[in-house]
Amino acid sequence: MDKKYVPRITSFLCKWCSYTGADLAGTSRLQYPTAIIPIKVMCSSRVDPVFILRAFLKGSDGVLLGGCHPGDCHYETGNYHTRRRFAIVKTVFESLGLEAERIRLSWISASEGPKFARVANEFTETIIAMGENPVKKKIFL
Amino acid sequence: MSRITLESKPSDGVRELLRHLLDKGKVSAVLAPRRLDDEGSLDLGFITDRSELDSIDPFAPVMIANTAQVLSMITPSSSKIAVVLKPCELRGFVERVKREQGTLDNILTISCTCGGVFPLQKAVDGITGGMTANYYSDLSSEKIHAEIRETCKACEHFIPINSDVTVSLVGEKDLDENCQIYLNSKSASELLEGLGGEIDKKEYDPAISAGLMKKRLAEKERLFNSVFPGKGGIDAVIEIFGKCVGCHGCSRVCPICYCVSCDFESMNFDSDIAYYEKELSQKGALRLPPDTMLFHIGRMIHMSFSCVGCGLCSDVCPADIPVASVFKRTGDKTASIFDYIPGRDLEEAIPVMVFKEEEFSRFVDE
Amino acid sequence: MNDTERSAARMRSPEGIRGSLHDFLKIAVDKGAVDSVLAPVKVPAENSYAWILMNDPAVIESASPVAPVMPVQGAKALKSLTRKGKGESRILAVMRPCEIRAGIELMKLNQVHFDNIVLVSYDCPGAVPFQDYVKDPGFSEESFGKMIASGRPGEENIKPACGICTEFSIVDSDIHFGYFGVDEGSAFVIPVSEQGAELLDAIGLDRDAKIADWESEISSIRDKRTKKRTETLSAAGERIKGLDGLINAFRKCIGCHNCMSVCPICYCRQCYFDSEVSKKDPDFIFEIAEKRGAMAFPRDKVMFHAGRMTHMSLSCVSCGFCTDACPTGIPVAEIFSYMADITQPTFEYIAGKNNGEPLPLRKFEKKELPLVHEIVKSAEGEEGSDE
Repeated sequence: MDKKYVPRITSFLCKWCSYTGADLAGTSRLQYPTAIIPIKVMCSSRVDPVFILRAFLKGSDGVLLGGCHPGDCHYETGNYHTRRRFAIVKTVFESLGLEAERIRLSWISASEGPKFARVANEFTETIIAMGENPVKKKIFL
Repeated sequence: MSRITLESKPSDGVRELLRHLLDKGKVSAVLAPRRLDDEGSLDLGFITDRSELDSIDPFAPVMIANTAQVLSMITPSSSKIAVVLKPCELRGFVERVKREQGTLDNILTISCTCGGVFPLQKAVDGITGGMTANYYSDLSSEKIHAEIRETCKACEHFIPINSDVTVSLVGEKDLDENCQIYLNSKSASELLEGLGGEIDKKEYDPAISAGLMKKRLAEKERLFNSVFPGKGGIDAVIEIFGKCVGCHGCSRVCPICYCVSCDFESMNFDSDIAYYEKELSQKGALRLPPDTMLFHIGRMIHMSFSCVGCGLCSDVCPADIPVASVFKRTGDKTASIFDYIPGRDLEEAIPVMVFKEEEFSRFVDE
Repeated sequence: MNDTERSAARMRSPEGIRGSLHDFLKIAVDKGAVDSVLAPVKVPAENSYAWILMNDPAVIESASPVAPVMPVQGAKALKSLTRKGKGESRILAVMRPCEIRAGIELMKLNQVHFDNIVLVSYDCPGAVPFQDYVKDPGFSEESFGKMIASGRPGEENIKPACGICTEFSIVDSDIHFGYFGVDEGSAFVIPVSEQGAELLDAIGLDRDAKIADWESEISSIRDKRTKKRTETLSAAGERIKGLDGLINAFRKCIGCHNCMSVCPICYCRQCYFDSEVSKKDPDFIFEIAEKRGAMAFPRDKVMFHAGRMTHMSLSCVSCGFCTDACPTGIPVAEIFSYMADITQPTFEYIAGKNNGEPLPLRKFEKKELPLVHEIVKSAEGEEGSDE
């Protein structure tokens, strides 16, 4: 793998918290990797767990799901449902021996620009250490 | 909670019980497996006329259609119906009721301690042949019958949960003239008053079938360790599901997959040819129709925590993929993180419909 | 087919037709005549094949253009690729004649777009029943290999639908590979359409071979097959005669609808027979049961199968996938082929022909279908109509 390998991390970010957090990171001039490909969603619970799977199977090196902290959901309980669904996806990945570390759920509030940058950096480093998603090369999917 | 002992074969006993219910007007109809001919054709008879009850084979070791799906078609009913079904079918229906696909009101459920069923293909080739010869003696001696389905061999829920009536088969000696009927609910006791036989106050004691339970649990461990090649990973998933022909029969017969229109058959997953051309330029090759692995793993994510391991998905698979074993193996894990047992309790909510404020911190960066 | 004698190119390979077709794919991509290839490739577990769209030379090298088994109807692969319209790149698709014919039907139904797709067909020896293949891939590979090497259509270890197939050879593709009765290791490469001829020119295959002998071989096989088809299907017709015949034919149906979901013609996303519309009120179902003393579940078996016949038998290409996918071994394809051989001639229609003819139900004439007129007339007569 060449040294300039930049992974692709599909990131579903809740409009009210995590996406705004990412914005704050930007306006605060905090650096975070270009690997992060943000997709704005109205709520983290809008993300059908199959979206995560699809992003993974279509070759994303990592999938990040960002939502509001428990109790802060704009729709009151969306993120609690997200957490349960994510637990299912993660368990299915683990049971099949898929690389479950490539998917991650983080609570990032609108005011947590630095946290967003930290999560983005950390996760990107983890993914770079893991290397490319082997699924990318599979043709029998 | 009481027990009725009849001096007859259990299948005769159950027919007698059903006749009693219809004759006395205690139920208006009966739903039960029915033999159509000597070649092994069965269906589920929905019967209102007592003379039709003779063809019923209540414990036919075959699953011709999932009774849970049929119950969704005949409930809510204004008439009382008695249903003879396997423990996994009952659990499947409980899961369906939680999804508002029917109701247990006005339904009397009659189940048995289940010795498992034959694979559908073997069953349609001739259930009346030599295959059933040892089946009933194996029930008595608590053996796992050699010819039953892989999933049944590894099933630890062979004692009905929540049935109104349980007929004890596993571990019962002398199945030729001994029919043990346990009445588990008040309505069962009321409806079966006057059936005759010897009545005593006794609940079903799992010790009767503890020997089989031990063997099933061991078999389950063996199956789960062997069904999935190596350490897993995407290559293992492709190895198992690579020969899938995309008929989606597994999801159509699944008692849990109740959606009229499945997400994976919807336009959500249609792509322009330009999309494929782009993917081709990146990968050099791709499979068509696409998304075979997405379908199976996706379906696991959508329903595995409610999987009752009924095995019909494996039965209908034209490619002989061990769908049920793989799904149950994963389902055991997804259900266990919620301490959930599918079909255990009607009051127990589906895991994705509820939440606790503090839970699953290991899955999130907080 | 025109009356003038066709001329064709000739290809040879020590591996027979499989080798020639494989070479052809590689040459077509190498010379840039097409951008990619759609053909079967063995799956990693080596227990089936999958349709793969490919331009990577290593993958093309591993392709098996003539696979012993048909896991997914090729027309379905084409559908998923071109349902939403044509593409920019040129794709070469190698398929069995029934897959191409199904593709043509789907084109008429606006589910497949053939622009920029070059269809290659070949003399089809038949396919191994899928469930047999899955049980013993090794044996099936071997028996199919022998079948191919014989240069004749197969008779044993093939799907029942293949044994009575009369459209096993040239169809409305672009290029056809004919090898039945041709000397060993040799195959004729026959341009069927202008697009096909252009492609052969582009890759520099000279067309100097005469194929009259091959043509007469094909027509003699076809005559034999036609006879066998008529016999087999009329016997099937006898078996399903009357309501009791139909009920009996489908008594083992468990209602999984696999036959419908693997059918290339049944393209509806939401089948009527699976829809909410076909569901009945529970109390209504109870009433029916009460009137008759009993009713059977899965219900509406005859309704589903006879209904599906009315919906799609006009386009049925007898590919046999329905039988392959049936978990209880019902000879679905035989019954549907029997019906197709009645419904299609009624409209003087042959499914799978790309001759500009629309689907029979997409047109009408003011005076047509004399048989129907007679039936109506006789019914009116019985009622004593004044007209």
